[in-house]
Amino acid sequence: MITFDNVTKRYPGSHEAITGVSFAIEQGELVYVTGHSGAGKSTLLKLMAAIERPTSGTVLINNQNVSKLKDVTLPYIRRKFGLVFQDHKLLYDRNCYHNVALPLAINGITGLDAGKRIRAALDKVGLLNKEKAMPITLSGGEQQRLAIARAVVSRPSILIADEPTGNLDRHYAADILTLFMAFQQVGVTVIIATHDALGNVNERNKILHLGHGKLVATEVST
Amino acid sequence: MNAWLAQHTQALSLVLRRFKANKLSTLLICLAIGVTLALPSIMYAVLESVSGLANNVKSESQISVFLNSSNSENSVQAVKLALEKNTAIKTFKFVTKEVALNQLQTSNANNEVLNSLEKNPLPDAFFVEPSKLDVESIENLKNDLSKLDGVEEVIVDGAWIKRLNYLLLLGKKIMLILTGLLAVALVAVIGNTVRMQIVTQQAEIELSRLIGATKSFIRRPFLYAGALYGLIGGLFALVITFVVIYLFNQSLAPLAAEYQTDFSLSLPSLYTSGITCLLSLIVGLVSAYFAVSKSLFKSIQ
Repeated sequence: MITFDNVTKRYPGSHEAITGVSFAIEQGELVYVTGHSGAGKSTLLKLMAAIERPTSGTVLINNQNVSKLKDVTLPYIRRKFGLVFQDHKLLYDRNCYHNVALPLAINGITGLDAGKRIRAALDKVGLLNKEKAMPITLSGGEQQRLAIARAVVSRPSILIADEPTGNLDRHYAADILTLFMAFQQVGVTVIIATHDALGNVNERNKILHLGHGKLVATEVST
Repeated sequence: MNAWLAQHTQALSLVLRRFKANKLSTLLICLAIGVTLALPSIMYAVLESVSGLANNVKSESQISVFLNSSNSENSVQAVKLALEKNTAIKTFKFVTKEVALNQLQTSNANNEVLNSLEKNPLPDAFFVEPSKLDVESIENLKNDLSKLDGVEEVIVDGAWIKRLNYLLLLGKKIMLILTGLLAVALVAVIGNTVRMQIVTQQAEIELSRLIGATKSFIRRPFLYAGALYGLIGGLFALVITFVVIYLFNQSLAPLAAEYQTDFSLSLPSLYTSGITCLLSLIVGLVSAYFAVSKSLFKSIQ
């Protein structure tokens, strides 16, 4: 599904954020990307989601080489992903319902069909009663869940989350992780970057551990 | 086709929602565009009306040849013969003093004065249309005609029309230049407005790019906004033009009555109104396009 082969990413005027990373992620896996802050987790996620192109090496997404894709086809690749950003990137000028509506609008889905999907997504994260609320009035955990609803509303086959439990307390964090596992159980590939010690890892998960831009360990927990 | 239509209605409804959320600023921008466009639009209406007037008069004779009132039938025939021979004359017509008086009576409301006259004060006259309309040949012809026997006076009544036409030409040129300059101003105004909107929508634009929006998806609402600003501004300009011309005409009516005409400025026709709106829509669209392609994707690429 996602294959990295000797991938290096260097930002202009900066050191290499990722150096010579190779791994493969299969359909339906739950993958953790771990490492200290600045280890290159976010860069790795951006490369996976076709937001950045590698400086060298190959990134294959569904057997398509991201480096060789034209600019005009990149948006269509990106639609395969549901993204949960580190800083949520919620839009504060509109209510929860319209926040979740944006990916559907981009996919050209509007009207009744969109309404059903938006409510289903909000229901899944437990925010159905807040569809008219503005994001600014939500708690940190609720904002995170709204971001997840937006990521899953267009039914992506891959869900990528950057530090989804970053600034939540233990109770909320467990809630969110349970939510991600529920998606994995219905066949969605879930990729989560975290600097936390992993608490609730009782499934068969893959862990990509980064240190200073290099892949230092690939473990499969049992 | 359906998806295409959906994309466009979606962009349009988004723009309308944004307009509704910022009613006052939208209104002010459209008003600014309207006032800017009203200026050349009013000027055009005035020039059109005046040149219409000039064209009407131009088709009438340009040189009037008045004969001595004591002329006999013979001398009239002699003048007529001379006119027929003259190659500088395209056509002419003879109006006797009786006919002239009749015309005056039918066209002029002030019959009391005419009736109080003891005898017909008007002379017989030839109305001559020259074949060449330039100033020099008309001047030569005038000299020739005044030398004829029995001719009292030769009046070139087309000269002022010529001058008026030159003035109209100058007016049209001024209008075109003014329109061009104001169009540039409009591009700046609309472009700036759209650029401001891009700044306020930066978060949405960035997010949309990250989750797979195409460039045209992001660009579309801004193009619609620009086009709509232009269109609404054009409609405002028309309203202003109609009101101003109506007010002008109210003051013109008594003046025109003094000159025994019913001259008034004509309101923009449906065609002219359509063209005005279309042009301002295009200006809006083009300026939005420039603004968008200049600043939309700078921060993301």
